[in-house]
Amino acid sequence: MKKVFISKVACVTPLGSGPEALWEGLLDGRSGIAPLTRFSCENYISSIAACIKDLKVPAGGSLLDPLLERLAEQLGEVPRDARLIVASTKGEIDKLEVACRGVEMLPESVLFEPLLAKISGRFGLLDTGLNINAACTSSTVALARGAAMIAAGQTDCVLVYAADIVSEFVFSGFSALQALSGERCKPFDTARQGLNLGEAGVALLLMSEERAMRQKETPLATIAGWGSANDAHHVTAPARDGSGLILACRAALKKGGIGTEQIAAINAHGTATIYNDAMELTAFNALFADKLPPLHGVKGSLGHCLGAAGGVEVLVAGYALQQQIIPGTVGCEQPEEAGQGRVSSAPQAICGEYLLCTNSGFGGVNAALILQGGAR
Amino acid sequence: MRAWINGIGWVTPAGFSQGRQSDSSPLQGGELQIPQRKQVFAQIDKRFGRLDDFSRVGLAAVAFCLRDADAEKWEEKRPIGVVAASRYGCLQTDIDYYQTLIPEDGKLASPNLFAYTLPNSFLGEAALRFGLTGNSMIINRHDSTRLESIKVGLEELAWSDQSGVLAGIVDLGPPPELMHGDHLPGGLFILLGREPGNAAPYGELEQVGEQLLFNGVEVTDLSQLITACLATNI
Repeated sequence: MKKVFISKVACVTPLGSGPEALWEGLLDGRSGIAPLTRFSCENYISSIAACIKDLKVPAGGSLLDPLLERLAEQLGEVPRDARLIVASTKGEIDKLEVACRGVEMLPESVLFEPLLAKISGRFGLLDTGLNINAACTSSTVALARGAAMIAAGQTDCVLVYAADIVSEFVFSGFSALQALSGERCKPFDTARQGLNLGEAGVALLLMSEERAMRQKETPLATIAGWGSANDAHHVTAPARDGSGLILACRAALKKGGIGTEQIAAINAHGTATIYNDAMELTAFNALFADKLPPLHGVKGSLGHCLGAAGGVEVLVAGYALQQQIIPGTVGCEQPEEAGQGRVSSAPQAICGEYLLCTNSGFGGVNAALILQGGAR
Repeated sequence: MRAWINGIGWVTPAGFSQGRQSDSSPLQGGELQIPQRKQVFAQIDKRFGRLDDFSRVGLAAVAFCLRDADAEKWEEKRPIGVVAASRYGCLQTDIDYYQTLIPEDGKLASPNLFAYTLPNSFLGEAALRFGLTGNSMIINRHDSTRLESIKVGLEELAWSDQSGVLAGIVDLGPPPELMHGDHLPGGLFILLGREPGNAAPYGELEQVGEQLLFNGVEVTDLSQLITACLATNI
């Protein structure tokens, strides 16, 4: 199996533009969750979300357009022969909102093909790309697929691009499902009440070791293992025994030939819904027995960025491995019993080579990636 | 990369059926009938009535495919994945949901419809009904051959420990504004297996570079592949 390097990264999140702004914001315990002004929240159970500052819709366009511009400028040149995998759950959903309100006809851009063409064109790629929709695991699954393609020798360069925005469409839906918290969310806290939505864009360029060395890249980390599994339990609720997440993690460990004792830390999904966080702690405790490593979640800072969540979290995990520290879990003041001593609102020092990142979502999906540090 | 084709099932304008009960290709244009529960499942299934049309079509096609492969019944969950390609996804459900959002500024937004505004929701429905714990995802890409999900399914099998992958296409007819080019409303899945299934397989599918070979003969689109499979019934 060929090694897979994360050779270049770019991101735009509610904590600012660029990986450094994100990392420093997380270490400082900052939160981008704030009153939502993009639309009226009068009839919803929450009025806060984590939005990207100064993101403006261009005339006739989508909020994804300026996000693409910022990411492309940050990432710089991408090899033309890179394969493209996009991960977005709702794409240009803001264009559909405009059309449904009768402001304009239903545009072609509500489909994914034009979005793929736009992203491919902006990066100057030969590949027209593929969008993966696996709910909140979309970018994790996209990274797993990109890694698998490189590991199998099918290609030596893959651009994984993930983006989702805070829209009234999605906000109202989570409100109707009673899944939103009216206050800043509290991942893994005993008093958690639900999630806050967030938005982000992230681009990660994956390369084989040979290609990265040839291009003199300084990679962030290596993707050492990956796995995905379905709970086969419920469409919107996780399996309480964490069986799907356990399967996904075991597949990732097996792929990388890694033992649980080698995992230095976990970047968990941590949506702050009652059932998700309980399920994750159940799964991790079953997987690691009495040796649960330190774990954290970033959604108290960034909100739930949907299809982009996993990509952003992998980027954070790369920094965590480099600096041997995980950011605090903002909002977690009184950790659940099953996470006590392992989840903290303060940053935690870690010691080791591997970090497990997981995401779960609607449709019973679970995905796990294991990052290995020391690639630089 | 190679796999056995162990089952085929579909819901298309040609009707609802499965490979071993048919000898003509079901991939044709026309008006798509949305399946009712009793046309798919003999047992009462309250959830089926709550599904959006996109999910009904996809789930029914998966059910017919598993039935065709004699793999519908299960006792223990199975590491079988689902990869579905879709051009329009659940766009119609998105529009329907939005119509519940507009009238009272969100007060009447339907949580049930919202749950199906992710196109992979029906993959979850299929997973829980049939005990499928493999990787499940919807893919979107420009693909006139309609073979993309089959290729991704073969790769999933080759690159993981899954024992099988249901690979196929699902689409409803597009809204009138987006109606151009050819489109085949409906759902069709084939069950790719690492091993031959309970029912005698249709044959072996192999990917060599960009080429897809069925029993050693190149197939260049999904219709050709299904026709070749059904020809083995004779």
